[in-house]
Amino acid sequence: MRRFWKELLKGFVVTNPLFILVLGLCPALAVSTSVDNALGMTGGVIFVLLGSNIIISAIRKIVPNMVRIPIFIVIISTFVTVVTLVFQAYVPALYAALGIYLPLITVNCIILGRAEAFASKNTILNSIGDAIGMALGFGSALIIISLFREILGTGSISIFGTHLFTLPVLGEHPLAMLALPPGAFLVIGLLLALFRRLGVVRSE
Amino acid sequence: MQPDIFKRFYPVILVTLIVLISAVLLGLTDNATRGKIAEQEVAQVRGYLGEMFPNMTSLTREDDIYLVLEDDTTIGYGFVAVGSGYGGEISILVGLENKTTVKGIVIISQNETPGLGTRVAEEPFTSQFAGVNIDDVRLDGEIDAITGSTISSAAVVEAVRNTALEKVESLGE
Repeated sequence: MRRFWKELLKGFVVTNPLFILVLGLCPALAVSTSVDNALGMTGGVIFVLLGSNIIISAIRKIVPNMVRIPIFIVIISTFVTVVTLVFQAYVPALYAALGIYLPLITVNCIILGRAEAFASKNTILNSIGDAIGMALGFGSALIIISLFREILGTGSISIFGTHLFTLPVLGEHPLAMLALPPGAFLVIGLLLALFRRLGVVRSE
Repeated sequence: MQPDIFKRFYPVILVTLIVLISAVLLGLTDNATRGKIAEQEVAQVRGYLGEMFPNMTSLTREDDIYLVLEDDTTIGYGFVAVGSGYGGEISILVGLENKTTVKGIVIISQNETPGLGTRVAEEPFTSQFAGVNIDDVRLDGEIDAITGSTISSAAVVEAVRNTALEKVESLGE
């Protein structure tokens, strides 16, 4: 049980998948334009990571080494497709906002990375902990990035339609570049440097 | 000999099995969500058309053209036009007052650049289409593009114009 909590917490700082393991950068760059999108993406990632980690851990003893990657990918893409269809049916606004980045969760390196590095070699319980930790770690990293990008890049913040506040000066002349791809690289790069400077970097 | 053959075919059997189970799961999910997804689209179109035509009492559908009815008379038409924007497909709901004039447009979905291309979805741009003759729906005609979003603007204009012409033709006389 202690192991479970240890796996869960490590995903937040020590081995944050985005800032320390530097995985999943592509969707992070694209989806962090607003806090709404970051939250939605996190929901999708939690579901897929949990599902794939559990299944892969459950079948780890019967999967021969040479076909493990194809099997992992089939399982992961099935989960992602299920999530995509469910989102499309029940939360169409979020589905439209995430666009192509929802199906792209399939090739999010975090999912396959954790399947290969952890779930295929650990018990189901610990794999659940790892999945929750990594997904929430990715999510919190995404939210931090999108807070910067949305507040500085558009001058205001809205969460799920409710407008929270607009900054006085930035509201009219926001740093629009931050909402665009170059801004994504800038913000993520700076945060990455910050994380490495402040955080504890332990290689796994 | 027996265990040897099994060992060689086991990976094949396992992968096939897993793929089969996944396929079944996907089929079930699709079954469960297909209806809801279709409903979403129709509900969305109804909503937008209802706003565009305040006097609308009901809606009927002929292929992909919605006939907007007030009691028994057709007061307009509606359909979805799709354009190729800067970041992907732009879905536009087009309302026609009659066979020559646009009633208005609503951007249903787009993946354009935030703050630039996304402004095609905003009122200042979309309101330009109201009351315009279909032939005049052009960037060198009645519609002004958004500064810095030429591609997004052109995509919407072209999609609206071409699809409108196409639908009017299929409506015939």
